[in-house]
Amino acid sequence: MPNSILKVENLKKSFQIAGGLFQKKQYVNAVIDVSFEIEEGTTFSLVGESGCGKSTTGRLITRLIAPTNGSIVVDGKEVATAKPSELRHLRQTVQMIFQDPYASLNPRMKVKELVGEPLEIHTKLSKVEREKLVLEMLEVVGLNAEHADRYAHEFSGGQRQRLGIARALITKPKLIIADEPVSALDVSIQSQILNLLKQLQQEYKISYLFISHDLSVVEHISHYIGVMYLGSIVEIGRKETIFNEPKHPYTQALIASVPIADPTLRKKKIVLTGDIPNPKNPPSGCTFHTRCPFASDICKQAIPEMRKINEEQSVACHFVN
Amino acid sequence: MTSPTTVQNSQVQNTQRKYSPLKEFWKSFKKQKAALVASIFIGLLIVIAIIGPYIAPYDPFEPNYNALLEGPSASHLAGTDEYGRDIFSRLIVGAKISLMVSFSAVFLGLILGTILGLISGYFGGWVDKIIMRSCDVLFSFPDLLLAIAIVALLGPGINNVIIAVMIFSVPSFARLVRGATLNAKENVYVEAAQSMGASHVRVLWKHIFPETISELIIFVTMRIGTAILAASGLSFLGLGASPEMPEWGVMLSSGRDYLGTSSHVVIMPGIAIFLTVLAFNLIGDGLRDVLDPKIKNN
Amino acid sequence: MPEHVLRVSDLETSFTRDNKEIKILRGVNFSIRKGEIVGLVGESGSGKSLTSLSIMQLFHGTTGKIVNGTIHFNGHDLTKMSESEIRKIRGKQMAMIFQEPMTSLNPVLKIGKQLMEAIEMHLKLPKNESKHHAIQMLKSVGIGRAEEIIYEYPHQLSGGMRQRVMIAMAMACHPNLLIADEPTTALDVTIQAQILELMKKLKEENETAILLITHDLGVVAEMCDRVVVMYAGQVVEEADVFELFASPKHPYTKGLIASVPKIGDNKEVLDSINGQVPSPQNMPNGCKFAPRCNQAMSICHQESPPTVKISATRQCSCWLYVKKDVEVNA
Repeated sequence: MPNSILKVENLKKSFQIAGGLFQKKQYVNAVIDVSFEIEEGTTFSLVGESGCGKSTTGRLITRLIAPTNGSIVVDGKEVATAKPSELRHLRQTVQMIFQDPYASLNPRMKVKELVGEPLEIHTKLSKVEREKLVLEMLEVVGLNAEHADRYAHEFSGGQRQRLGIARALITKPKLIIADEPVSALDVSIQSQILNLLKQLQQEYKISYLFISHDLSVVEHISHYIGVMYLGSIVEIGRKETIFNEPKHPYTQALIASVPIADPTLRKKKIVLTGDIPNPKNPPSGCTFHTRCPFASDICKQAIPEMRKINEEQSVACHFVN
Repeated sequence: MTSPTTVQNSQVQNTQRKYSPLKEFWKSFKKQKAALVASIFIGLLIVIAIIGPYIAPYDPFEPNYNALLEGPSASHLAGTDEYGRDIFSRLIVGAKISLMVSFSAVFLGLILGTILGLISGYFGGWVDKIIMRSCDVLFSFPDLLLAIAIVALLGPGINNVIIAVMIFSVPSFARLVRGATLNAKENVYVEAAQSMGASHVRVLWKHIFPETISELIIFVTMRIGTAILAASGLSFLGLGASPEMPEWGVMLSSGRDYLGTSSHVVIMPGIAIFLTVLAFNLIGDGLRDVLDPKIKNN
Repeated sequence: MPEHVLRVSDLETSFTRDNKEIKILRGVNFSIRKGEIVGLVGESGSGKSLTSLSIMQLFHGTTGKIVNGTIHFNGHDLTKMSESEIRKIRGKQMAMIFQEPMTSLNPVLKIGKQLMEAIEMHLKLPKNESKHHAIQMLKSVGIGRAEEIIYEYPHQLSGGMRQRVMIAMAMACHPNLLIADEPTTALDVTIQAQILELMKKLKEENETAILLITHDLGVVAEMCDRVVVMYAGQVVEEADVFELFASPKHPYTKGLIASVPKIGDNKEVLDSINGQVPSPQNMPNGCKFAPRCNQAMSICHQESPPTVKISATRQCSCWLYVKKDVEVNA
């Protein structure tokens, strides 16, 4: 049994959206109940549409925000309840790559400072030693030494994302949380970055938590997938089973909605009617029942439990056995 | 098309000359003619303030009872005052006092206000509330009245003028920096730094403070003008520099009895104050056009 | 002879910066027939969005200017028209929807008011009729509670709803041509599927020609009849959608199609195109794609390739296809 690098159980986060001295307090549940596990050297993807809580889950795991409830075990250590001062280990083990390579790099810093910043925070290396490591890392991500003295805005989108990857990689983390790392990039550049991420995984045995709305990208990069809808995982399992035999009606609709770059495969879609409900005011029972073509009375009343339907797949739906 | 990603020959657009923020700044500041002239004026003024005692044609404190209240002439460029002292020499030596008072008051206000503003904007919550409500209290007094009250409390004297002017500068700086901090905090790279494990001090110093600098520079120049006016005002009221000092406000004050007969005694220091304040405001305006991100993006 | 709604010939558009003219579009040619959906594909910096703005002549507040070429719309050359003549066409015969509907809806006006304004201006209907027409339009784009929506503000609607309102507004005057610039890029997949279905339906009902600008080859394959591929301000390939995906000709098109991860084909390594799009200030000589092309020959670095007609429905600008037995449209 391979080691688990991350184990998340019953994670919950609610944000206060209104209220105060004279008002009734109001909360929105961004993450309702999320549990999953990532094995060493594998990629687990969270997919879902906007407002499903996938990015919040990522930020909870890095403890940029504190969870309301639940447990997060990173590399054997519980971090959900740790105080900010006790998070040193977490910050070294887990690094993040952000969606927008333009915004996540400080425009006032040179590349060698940007990429070397985690070293400055976590190690006692001298400036010279840090720069040496930065140059090595630039080579690894396909840039070169002459780029070290430039500012981030002098690079193209794809190159900036390479810088983001170099920065995440430099402390040799075991887990990288990549929040929509390629969705701001052009297709031809996107594939360069995806190939790089895969290659780095093989070289350094890193695990990825890959957060994305793009199913084609997710299918390419993942080993395991969790499909989220309105704050909960509705289906989870091995990539192949999720894509070949999706069981939850939402997963089915999601996969069918993806336009395929092949006109001979045009088909009548299962077009989901209606909008994604507002998380401030989620539907009762199964949150998907307002859009589900198979919904019946029980779906409006009872929240379906996550059930393991075979070795590789679990689904939260009343009608899947 | 199939090539491993590592052998990317990813070239940065090499056409661009090496990017230097300072060079960019100078390129656009050059176009602000009024601000450029004003900067030259202030530059000269600073030089004069430093070497003033050595270049002054007369001793600024030495009375000459043979030349009382003389108008401007070749021997006395700005005329003489009621004790026959050379007004030009007194202005030159007084530049040092005026600049020193305003610079140090604004500088101290800047440091204190920036620290408070950064803390207030970054941490938010009750810390923010306490700092901002205290600032509101100070804001509710008119600037000069507040300064007068402080000097009245501490006693007259140049040092207390500095403290008074500083205290009424702090809330403006704090509020400005707080606003800039709130904006800067939204940058994804701030979140990135936090996710790397950067300490609060590091995030504030390396990632947020630099975002506030351009607004601070603009505000400091504007504020120095106000400080000169306030310091002169306090001296004019007899709360600042002692009466024999060649401070510009004092000169205005002691000359006002002769306004009807020898108006140059008041006009000359008046012009000095006017030009200096104007110059600082012009520089501030020019810097705003160059540095302010809201204007720059248009 | 099929009826062309739009025919763009040799279009060149440039911007002025620091007194230097920078050419962004360098000779764009394509046409759209009645009731046809043409996809304009390219990566950022290819000039696809500027092409649409040039057609609409929307350069407000920029230094953009058409410096050469013609844009024939229903037989009239838009480049020769005055601003007021174009304003009569814009919105009525030719409408546009954008990626982010929020930027093109007025945030302080109610939905109904904005719709009615467009209707009153172009169709010259009296007030009560235009309100009826507005509700009718909203229903036709699948907004069930149209009677309520007209009293709401744009920010009260979801992204998908806003895009529906934008489409209703664009379709209100039954235009001949709808230009859709990345209409679903900001939307979730399930909502994107709804909007794409809606656009197809409206096209069938009204015979509107659609110019669909997108970077998403999936959307292109799903929606379009014909595809125009742009790179660095030029059209590099034009083909029927089935032909294009079955056998892309231009190395750039090949690379682009191969770069897209497709659900179901378990490739370990994705194909990709080396390097990146050149900046307009720094255009290479010869073929603009040559520095990234793995089939580049020496001539590619020296001279721009001519447009080669490969069959009745497709053409391609690449030296690989310049042979003696092929007709050359230099």
